[in-house]
Amino acid sequence: MFTETLLVSIQQPSASQDYMGWIFQVIWILAFIIVWIYGQRIQTTLMLKEIEGSLSKLKAMRDRSRQITISAIKEIGKPNEDPTARIDRLLEHVDIEPVSLDPTGIIRRLEHIIDVREFRFKDEVRQMAPQADETQINNLTNVLEAALALNQIYKIVRHYYLMGKKTLSFYIILQIQMLLPLIMRESEAFANAIKAFTLGQPIGDGAGALVAARLMHGREKRLISKDTIVSEVDIDGRKAYVIKAVGPGGNVGKPGEAIRQILEEKEGRVALIIIIDAAQKLEGERPGEVVEGVGVAIGGPGVDKYKVEEVAAKYRVPLSAILIKEGIEDVVSTMRKEIVDGVEEAIARIRRLIRENTKEGDTVIIAGVGNTIGIAQ
Amino acid sequence: MGVEGGEVRRAPIFFIAVILIMLVMSIAAFILAITVYLTQNTVEYMNIILSASAILLSIYLLLQMRRRTLGPSLEPLKVLTVIRCVGCNYESRREFERGDYILKEIGQCPKCNGTLYIHSIFREVKEKEKTY
Repeated sequence: MFTETLLVSIQQPSASQDYMGWIFQVIWILAFIIVWIYGQRIQTTLMLKEIEGSLSKLKAMRDRSRQITISAIKEIGKPNEDPTARIDRLLEHVDIEPVSLDPTGIIRRLEHIIDVREFRFKDEVRQMAPQADETQINNLTNVLEAALALNQIYKIVRHYYLMGKKTLSFYIILQIQMLLPLIMRESEAFANAIKAFTLGQPIGDGAGALVAARLMHGREKRLISKDTIVSEVDIDGRKAYVIKAVGPGGNVGKPGEAIRQILEEKEGRVALIIIIDAAQKLEGERPGEVVEGVGVAIGGPGVDKYKVEEVAAKYRVPLSAILIKEGIEDVVSTMRKEIVDGVEEAIARIRRLIRENTKEGDTVIIAGVGNTIGIAQ
Repeated sequence: MGVEGGEVRRAPIFFIAVILIMLVMSIAAFILAITVYLTQNTVEYMNIILSASAILLSIYLLLQMRRRTLGPSLEPLKVLTVIRCVGCNYESRREFERGDYILKEIGQCPKCNGTLYIHSIFREVKEKEKTY
């Protein structure tokens, strides 16, 4: 019945259908001409609108993070003068990488630049926040770093947006539009990190540090390199040197230097090096999933990784890696439950690796890598 | 432009304008089809189907646009602190307080008088169960 009526209505059009048919035809022809001539321009405009929306969101995050940084420094550090101008200057801070044209000694030069930068940042925070203790200075430095990252991201996206708008180049706009979802995820992670850093909560990146903290809890510790401690722990009859950054302030320490020093002290008589770190999970993987591998699991600019690779190769010491998987949004956000569960599993895996790959009386090195904010020892 | 100054724009005006024009046109077409039915007693199925679907599509797009641009997600997270005893299996949970950190000693155990310490600090995230 319906089909018959429909067919009749199509085959015998009424006056209004005829009239509307003409309108639809004209609309279709116009739409075709517009899309044919201005298709790419329309697409460019739509992409620019999308970038503009994200840029406004990035600006809101940048402004909010700046405001939180100023409030935190005022609240914790009790400064004598308004720190706003100083913070604004630090938010525009740039790092210049060492020249790579002649790569000889680049790691040493890169380490020097990183050290100078870290010293400069902490010194600036110390001057802005005279009442803050060492832990709070480290945390405030982390807050400042996150605000700086958000400012940099905002400025880079704005650069591409304005350049695309100025030149109307489809390809300039396309590349930033394609990367936008990833950029926004990372930015939201930094925006959440600001809160965690202000309150001194442990973050996802601290998974490795938490493993080391659990192992060395209640044992004697000593400072081995800058902001890094070591503790001698007995694990199933083996002597384990457990390394982590000094907490509970936001620190990553120098795990590479610490491992190098222990290996040199022991003249290479170490049966196994185990490094535990957080690693970015692939989409579909479970947060807190623990995986094993070989190699040096130390992220960052590569200085610590290089040092461990060098000294381990020199003494031919086997390297094992335990990775705790997490999403990019979890790395700098408050640690989630699944990652804490992953830490317990990582400890069980360390014990198994030691039992299977070493014998009683051997020496092993266990390094928990990552930002130790909110994690003591 | 609203990039350097001003507040966050909720959705691009251009898109909203296009969708609103589409909505108005489809409502007009729908009313026209109804008028034809009432005056001439002829059911214009094609026009009714097309205009109704255009109305639904534009409403859907408007709702989607509103949902997508609600501003930065900086909502406060619920963070828990787990306290355990060194000596026995006592465990308690409370909301995170400023100054808490993992392995901080925070008093004596009500069961065995052992030392209480913060075992872990975490946020719980509810995620949909994945089947792949």
